[in-house]
Amino acid sequence: MAAAQSRGARSSIVIVTGGEAPIPIPTLMEGAQATLANFEVADQLFLRLAALGPELITAGDRGFVPLLAREWTRRDSVTLVFDLDPRARWHDGVPVTARDVLFTMARARDPALSPRLAGLLRRIRSVNDEGDRRIVFHFSHPYAEQLYDATFHVAPLPAHLLAALPPQELRRSAYVGNPVGNGPYRWVRSVPGQFLELAANESFFRGRPDIDRVIIRVAADPDARINLLLSGEADVMDNIPPPRANLDRVAADPDLRLVPVPSPTVGYLLFNQRDPADLSRPHPILSDINVRRAIILALDRRQLVRAVFGSYGEVPFGPVSPLLWIRHGAPPPLAQSQAMARRLLSAHGWADRNRDGTLERGGRPLRLQLTLPNTSAIRRQLALLVQEQLRQVGIAAEVAQLEWPVYAERRSAGLFDIDFNAATQDPSPSGLTQSWSCGGGSNVARYCDPGVDSLLERAIMSRGDSRDTWHAVLRRIEEDAPAAFLYAPTFVFAVHRRFRDVAIRPESSWIALWRWSVDH
Amino acid sequence: MRRWLLDRTAQAAVTLAIAITLLFVLMRAAPGDPLSRLQGDRPLSREEIASLRERYGLDQPLLTQFGAFVGGLTRGDLGVSIEYGRPVTSLLAERLPATLQLGGAVILLNFTLGLWLGVRQAVRRGSREDRWLTVVSLGGYATPSFWLGLVLAWLVGVKWGVLPPAGHSDPLLDSGAGFMERTVDLLRHLALPVLTLSAVTIAATMRHQRNAMLDVLRHPFMLTARAKGLSERAVTWRHAWRNALFPVVTLFGLWLPILVTGSVFVEAVFAWPGLGSLAAAAVGHRDYPLLMGAALLAAVLVVAASLLTDLVYALLDPRVRLS
Repeated sequence: MAAAQSRGARSSIVIVTGGEAPIPIPTLMEGAQATLANFEVADQLFLRLAALGPELITAGDRGFVPLLAREWTRRDSVTLVFDLDPRARWHDGVPVTARDVLFTMARARDPALSPRLAGLLRRIRSVNDEGDRRIVFHFSHPYAEQLYDATFHVAPLPAHLLAALPPQELRRSAYVGNPVGNGPYRWVRSVPGQFLELAANESFFRGRPDIDRVIIRVAADPDARINLLLSGEADVMDNIPPPRANLDRVAADPDLRLVPVPSPTVGYLLFNQRDPADLSRPHPILSDINVRRAIILALDRRQLVRAVFGSYGEVPFGPVSPLLWIRHGAPPPLAQSQAMARRLLSAHGWADRNRDGTLERGGRPLRLQLTLPNTSAIRRQLALLVQEQLRQVGIAAEVAQLEWPVYAERRSAGLFDIDFNAATQDPSPSGLTQSWSCGGGSNVARYCDPGVDSLLERAIMSRGDSRDTWHAVLRRIEEDAPAAFLYAPTFVFAVHRRFRDVAIRPESSWIALWRWSVDH
Repeated sequence: MRRWLLDRTAQAAVTLAIAITLLFVLMRAAPGDPLSRLQGDRPLSREEIASLRERYGLDQPLLTQFGAFVGGLTRGDLGVSIEYGRPVTSLLAERLPATLQLGGAVILLNFTLGLWLGVRQAVRRGSREDRWLTVVSLGGYATPSFWLGLVLAWLVGVKWGVLPPAGHSDPLLDSGAGFMERTVDLLRHLALPVLTLSAVTIAATMRHQRNAMLDVLRHPFMLTARAKGLSERAVTWRHAWRNALFPVVTLFGLWLPILVTGSVFVEAVFAWPGLGSLAAAAVGHRDYPLLMGAALLAAVLVVAASLLTDLVYALLDPRVRLS
């Protein structure tokens, strides 16, 4: 076992992962390049001003730890001042200055260059410098996540290397093939389709990493990743996918340990509020809140989660993944009650008059199409279990597995009855407005409750402890039953036992890698 | 011969032009959009999607997009991949060596070992060796390559630890490693994918070669050759085999493009960084520029393989040239 070890590479680590990181450069990770793989490699090369603390609380100014910035102070409710750590250096030895932050923020806030980032940073009114080491952020209005917005979305780029380039040319420049950063690891090489290699930044101002060499190896197929891990060709594997037999195989290896990590994923059955045949009309079945509630009651969500994830998953309360801090203290989700589901449907006129096993009302059978992408093994497995549980209360769910681009196109056009979605969330709960507010850009089911909008607005604008307001948002969404929130998985990583002080962060898996140590 | 060659090349160019046009139209006609999927896990706003649509020229009419593609093609520019954000030509060039290594090794095995075994079977028709080789080759032919790949990767790579179960090279290999060390490393990684792909393809080659040989061995000129006092080796290889090559040459023409772009499952199981998996991912993502690049390469290979087959026919049989 541990071929890496036997080859004398004791301070190397080989991480096997499913996604390639072709452009791990801040402000270039846009569109299809806004991938987890790119972000995770970028976090090794580039430091943000500050990082999220252990609680992952995105609101307020206290839940963060310094990185490039030594400290920050608040001048008023819309002004934040950051002082850069004077020890911070680029990998070529040049000091990190306020000019770098200004240069990067200008790129990030330009919608023509970085449309995604510009959207995320829309509440930053201006960024100025006061000398070489001080940066002042002005925000358009007071709100809870100012520090989060200023620090989380983008890490500074080296202005001394890039400022002379025309802004559009960075993507095609030589810098992309050999990026110079300021993080704990520096770029060595990339072998496309195979791996990329990083080396410890010997003069990292927060402390030299104990692991000298990091190899991030790509294998898109989960079986290939597991084989690489079990054969000792890799030391670490991220997110061992179901079925549970995979976990059992890895757990049986005495050289490996399993590390559970909260995931940013939440899976749910989204009920379309509009008729897919004519989006100007309400959905003939699902616009009735009683049917939606009956579907939720009919599902034994705990059993579903157990069947697929074992002990590595839970039923969420509302659209909240384990990554979001607002899940703490939220009420428990409703338990299954098929009897209540039947009573609810019966009370609202649904009955099986022709004895074919499916309820009808006014001649319309309670038949719905459940669409999902055929690329998701988890959702394929769950869909069949959901179909069976719904059948038991007289609801016919036809499962339609679609190729991913077709699924995505139909989903964004609102052409579905029930959409089996798995959303990947950022640490900020303010992202919930995208899917659950009336005007949300991803509100494909056209769910609209002005009460939820108002609560969301209050929670986002709150400057004190907003946890109760966020819980009120979740309760209101649960009451409206726009979706059946099915699962919030815990990712399970496998790590070779020769590594110590292992910390895998949910918001970016390897961001604390430089603090890991290795048996010598 | 020159006239014939010019005619065939012109035909190949026309075929290629038609294939490119059809590929472009069919790809755009397929349901799904390269950017709508970005509204999935990490949703983008409509404005952001519109901006990206403009960046990749997807907001232009189809004819304008085709004009831009053909214009780029004449300059050797296949555009920028939507998924990777990098030039398509670079992506294809990066993946081509691994593909050629895998496909080349499989073809080499097919047209050495496969042909030799097929000829041996024909010459020893009905013998125990023939029967065993028939059983083994049919077994190989009937085995799904992805299943065989999974079994080999687990058994040889994980359980026995003899060969690496996946990958193209050892990332921990010292950057100063010499040519021999690198070659050995490559061969170690190449072994299982080649074995997996060859198990299926060699069986077909053997069957084709055996049947073709049996057909030739029945001809009266074989009796003449023996009557002239030629050795059995000369009769088999110089007289029979050359005439039995035609069906196998056709097989080569059919397999060349398939081995380059069609080994998707084997590439996935062994994390082999070839064109097949790149093309498959491009289909899944509706990455039009990359998909067109990969399809264009496949079309060129099909046309080139067809041309090459005709050439080999002409070399082997003067009647083809004369007609």
